[in-house]
Amino acid sequence: MASATDSELGVDATPWTLLRGKASHLREILRPFIRVLRANPLTLIGFILVVIISTTALLVAIVPVISQVVLGHPVLLTPYDPNGISTDYSQAPSLKHLLGTDKLGLDIFSRVLAALPLDLAIGVGIAGFALLLGGGLGLVAGYWDKPRTLGGVISAVILRVTDVFLAFPSLVLALAIAASLGRGTGPSILAVLLTWWPYYVRLTRGEVLAVKHRPYVVAARAAGVSEVRILFRHVLRNLIEPLLVYYTLDIGTVIITFSTISFVGIGVPLDVSEWGTMVEAYEQLLLTHPWTVLAPGAAIFITVLAFSLFGDGLRDILDPRSRRTLVQAVAATTLPGQVAGAAEA
Amino acid sequence: MVEPVLDVQDLSVEYEAGAGTFHALTGVSVRLDPGRVVGIVGETGSGKSTLAHAIPRLLPEPPARIVSGKISFRGVDVLDLPKWKLPLLRGTGIGMIFQEPINSLNPAYRIFDQVAEAVAVRKLRDAGESPTLFPAPEPHDYSKGMVVKSGEALLHPIATKLPGRRRRARREALMQDVLDYLRLVRINDPETILDLYPHELSGGMRQRIMIAMALSAKPSLLIADEPTSALDITIQAQVLTLMKELMEEVQTSILFISHDLGIIAEMADEVGVLYAGHLVEFGPVEEVFANPRHPYTKLLLRSVPAQYKDDGPLPALSGSVPSLANVPPGCPFHPRCPLMRDACKTNPGPLLEPVKGISARTHLSACYYSDEVARMA
Amino acid sequence: MGRNKSDLIVFVGKRLLQLLPVVLGVIVITFFFTHVAVQNPCAVWAGAHATADQVQACILRFGLNRPLTDQFWRYLTTLLSGDWGANPRGGVPVLLSISSAFPATLELVLASLFIMTVIGIPLGVVAANGAGRWADHLVRVFYLSGWATPTYLGAVVLAIAVGPAIGLPTKGDFTTKPPFYGPTHMSVLDALWALDFPAVGDALLHLVLPASALALLNLGIATRMTRTSMLEVLPLDFVKTARMKGLSDFVVLYKHALRNSLISTVTILGITAGVLLSGTVVIETIFQWPGIGAYAYDAITGYNFPGTIAVVIVFAVAVVISNLLSDVLYGILDPRVEWR
Repeated sequence: MASATDSELGVDATPWTLLRGKASHLREILRPFIRVLRANPLTLIGFILVVIISTTALLVAIVPVISQVVLGHPVLLTPYDPNGISTDYSQAPSLKHLLGTDKLGLDIFSRVLAALPLDLAIGVGIAGFALLLGGGLGLVAGYWDKPRTLGGVISAVILRVTDVFLAFPSLVLALAIAASLGRGTGPSILAVLLTWWPYYVRLTRGEVLAVKHRPYVVAARAAGVSEVRILFRHVLRNLIEPLLVYYTLDIGTVIITFSTISFVGIGVPLDVSEWGTMVEAYEQLLLTHPWTVLAPGAAIFITVLAFSLFGDGLRDILDPRSRRTLVQAVAATTLPGQVAGAAEA
Repeated sequence: MVEPVLDVQDLSVEYEAGAGTFHALTGVSVRLDPGRVVGIVGETGSGKSTLAHAIPRLLPEPPARIVSGKISFRGVDVLDLPKWKLPLLRGTGIGMIFQEPINSLNPAYRIFDQVAEAVAVRKLRDAGESPTLFPAPEPHDYSKGMVVKSGEALLHPIATKLPGRRRRARREALMQDVLDYLRLVRINDPETILDLYPHELSGGMRQRIMIAMALSAKPSLLIADEPTSALDITIQAQVLTLMKELMEEVQTSILFISHDLGIIAEMADEVGVLYAGHLVEFGPVEEVFANPRHPYTKLLLRSVPAQYKDDGPLPALSGSVPSLANVPPGCPFHPRCPLMRDACKTNPGPLLEPVKGISARTHLSACYYSDEVARMA
Repeated sequence: MGRNKSDLIVFVGKRLLQLLPVVLGVIVITFFFTHVAVQNPCAVWAGAHATADQVQACILRFGLNRPLTDQFWRYLTTLLSGDWGANPRGGVPVLLSISSAFPATLELVLASLFIMTVIGIPLGVVAANGAGRWADHLVRVFYLSGWATPTYLGAVVLAIAVGPAIGLPTKGDFTTKPPFYGPTHMSVLDALWALDFPAVGDALLHLVLPASALALLNLGIATRMTRTSMLEVLPLDFVKTARMKGLSDFVVLYKHALRNSLISTVTILGITAGVLLSGTVVIETIFQWPGIGAYAYDAITGYNFPGTIAVVIVFAVAVVISNLLSDVLYGILDPRVEWR
């Protein structure tokens, strides 16, 4: 092993050998990850797709900005201007227009590409924000919930409020908020955000409750380990797996909900490229010009499928314990340990 | 020469796990004659459970793999049977009881339903014969055996060939047998527990019910995989006593697996000692325990603390049991063996053979120097 | 033992009591978003060509110029007295609309749950039985595809392309308005009640596409949970015991293993009520199913405040009750659980 020779070489180690040592060390950490990916071909496909989609989104979003700064004019990665009307009306997919054009001559492929960064960022961002906010609140509600203490009171308040929000079906709440805030990108982002954080509260709290009473945590506390250390070493470490899995799967759900709001007509304004608005605009053309509707639809489908394949496979790969706590977590926050206890049994 | 109930020849089983290949069993051969009890003793990780599960083909095939060998049950080649015929082999042919009775009974069904199910399976297969409680095991014609019809078994615990289609008639038809077998395992007033769920009973009771269920099918071979290891000592004694009495009454051959030398000494007629997947000694139980002919057996017996004596530190074996992924070549015990010599280290290792210098050929040992074991310090 | 009937009643009672603060919270939040966040609803209600006077009259009529707490209190009291308001545009009483729309949605959701159970659960068993092999992968691709399709896209494709192609109706719950009066407002049951069998067939045909759309898109929930809990149950000893009784593979899987995995699956299904109700909003609108989802859509986008609040109350109660039902079912299915 290169790392062994590394230490053998000692003083004579050159930068090259040090680098080789680090690389093989890295390879050893990645090895189980790689083996597992190879054993789950679907997860691998999901992972590859996720990487491709994310890189494309990043490039489509950033290259124009950077080139504007560096070269003085934006370089668009889309073949045509997404808002550029042309004379090629309603053309079927061809070499010139990869996904055809609509009745105004807009290139569908460019529109789909242009919408990618927005929708992907929405998914990753909103779910991420909900994760942090909801996760933080859930952590508090789960960990410092001794009754008749300040923490207990705060926990109870958090739980009650979360229960109220959880009683709304997610889309209904998001639609109601978006409708009241008016049309626009910002309001619809806010609407989805306000709808989404409660789920993470419930999930995190369930997980924290499960870990809190595990024998090794109790033992650590009895041995005098400080609460902060317990929190970081044990509680948070156990949280990462189920939260990561849920987050990955959630990205797709957020994208779908957001695009549904746009589909309904109270989401992003019409001049912003977004897959939901595109489906809505071309809805009636399904039979005559199917590519117009199916292209953005397929884009959503592939993106969500990629993240779902990856997240679903991740769930299988990681600790089976996380499956059990997911069942526990989705029980209502105010339900006493009944479901939790039975799920653990 | 009586045809053996069970004839395992040279069985080798491997597990493919991420970290490597586990050689759970290597070249194991066991013979079980009708009406006899053979005990298999070994430590954790010796492969005893694998042997118990391999015989009725209960091993999950993807990670486990039967590499070589032959398992013959009443003349039927078990390994050759197609998957759909396996249920015919079990129940009335081979029965099995497990270690943790809380896990072995289905928590969602009542006691009556579970025992009645076992009874019904047998009755279906015996269709036509009037049931008697302790008949001699009849050779089953497996080509005519019936698998319980899935549809009916799904809806009710019993199937339609039995008298009457109504639930109460069925319940009555099976009730007598269920009660009889529950009484057989010394449960007084079995009527009181019929409607209870497994979690409402004690461990000893659950294990008795397991035994009742297994016996109600009147199997020719009963495999007992550490049946008392999860029970308290006092309950253990009760269940073992029960099993001994049953052995007199019911003519079922038993393969008894345990890590407890004392239990094997009490229950078995013959014993086989498993170490790291290899069968290292086999013979009549009094003979093997009184005059062990394999270093491992001798050291194992010596390490059992004798009662009420305080002779100083316990003579434990040095070293530890090898992982089944890294079984030493040649004789698997050689790294820890006081009689080890060069010949012990090379493949193939010693075979299970009659001990040198003894006229009776029933005591087998897998050691090149089995004659020296008696003189071992 | 905490498992007798009185324990169950106490349990259900406690949970229903908890419903009250939740409903109150729901009303507050919805009220906030409708009355506070929306700037000038009267501009929408009075119509596009309303004059300033008409808008002002509208404001006075609906009391929108009063302080907020006053508005809230008035609304709450009228709600409790049984008057759930009316649609500001057109005046149709809310309670009337909801009481005829809700059963239709219930019918749709029950039909979807039925499809999800009948298709999703066996798929989960098949996937668990062949875990890691091609059957598993195939099932996973199938249900993840459903999951990855947005409800509106799936509904649109089914309604515009697939439905006409295979001849299934895509609009409404009957082809023409049926002559009988339906007491239950559920199309199939009403037709059965009136013994109008051609109408029963018509109603069932109309139910197929929207229920399938709702079911197929959410199948993954049932399949995934079944697979997971089957994978946990299959290695357990009692499955081995069942096999060793000589039972066939089918009986072992479905009667012994699945019976124990159903516990987790049922819990999840109860909680998916929220997801299904969200789905009905889009599906009912596209398939023109006269249910509460379509009503919600119209109310929310049409700024029908009393309607929105009423609909949200109904949804919230439905979600809480279905959670309660799944917990009760959990207790029934698992004899070890006590009702606390």
